Amino acid sequence: MSSNVAASGRSNMKFLYAGIVIALILAVLAPFLASPDPDGLESAAGGVVSEEKLAEMEEAGSVFSSPMPDYGIEGMGKSGEVAAIVAGTLLVLGISYGLGKIIKK
Amino acid sequence: MHIPDSFIPLSQAIIYWIIALPFIFMSIRWAGKEMDDTKVPILAALAAGIFAIQALNIPIGMGTSGHMVGATLVAIIFASPWAGVLVLTLVLLVQGFVFADGGITTMGANILNMGVISGFVGYYTFSALMKSRLSLQISAFVGAWLGLLVSALACAVQMYLAGTFPLVPGLVAMGTYHFIIGLIGEGLITAVAITAIASSRPDLLENKSLARGVKA
Repeated sequence: MSSNVAASGRSNMKFLYAGIVIALILAVLAPFLASPDPDGLESAAGGVVSEEKLAEMEEAGSVFSSPMPDYGIEGMGKSGEVAAIVAGTLLVLGISYGLGKIIKK
Repeated sequence: MHIPDSFIPLSQAIIYWIIALPFIFMSIRWAGKEMDDTKVPILAALAAGIFAIQALNIPIGMGTSGHMVGATLVAIIFASPWAGVLVLTLVLLVQGFVFADGGITTMGANILNMGVISGFVGYYTFSALMKSRLSLQISAFVGAWLGLLVSALACAVQMYLAGTFPLVPGLVAMGTYHFIIGLIGEGLITAVAITAIASSRPDLLENKSLARGVKA
């Protein structure tokens, strides 16, 4: 039984490594492959909200100043976008792994 | 579908946070009961993969794009919608604070839509379809698609209550775009990912009957 658990633990680490590789490939490709078109919510807003109100909302902006808004680093173009998304992927990886270890049974 | 701060007045945004908090709490409780050393790597791999794939917007025509949400995929793998809530909460926290993708005041609404509604609708639709003996692929595809569509309609209702969108045009626009995003971005990718996992690591799916269905 304990050897089964150890074996599944090892193959789950393989799953983690494969997951990291896939995530990093996606992160590196995303700035080049992702569609620049507005997403469904933004498109809907563009279609059903008056221009005045859209401008008001634009002006209101966000309540928090994020370090890498829109998945980019100012003045770094595509390489900044790659760096930002890779950094985000590793951050989510670290937080979820760490939190998982802390709250596990 | 990440709602920015300016789309919902603060008084209403707080209400969505209050509704979302018990779900977040329950998802942490789920992890406390179900996570062990061997499952943490799976959770982390899925969270990282979902963050990355959410950066990959797929064009759907009409000058619009969309991306996968992923709560249904995570819920199917762990056989619990709470897993989807937990992963989406972590992803949305990083997206909101680090990348200004989705607001901070509206993060409660975003967690509610993408983590709770899409994951619960997606997972229970998937389960019902599996019980009615549909294939793993079709169940995953339809579940993920419906989860995304319903969460987009919920978002349109929130936009109406916020005074941001008119009700019917908002529902029609959000429904139309996410009907399509759900097919490609959510349904197809979820079905492909579940099929790949069920054939390479059938032991991984918590619900063993799923793996049996694939092997047969």
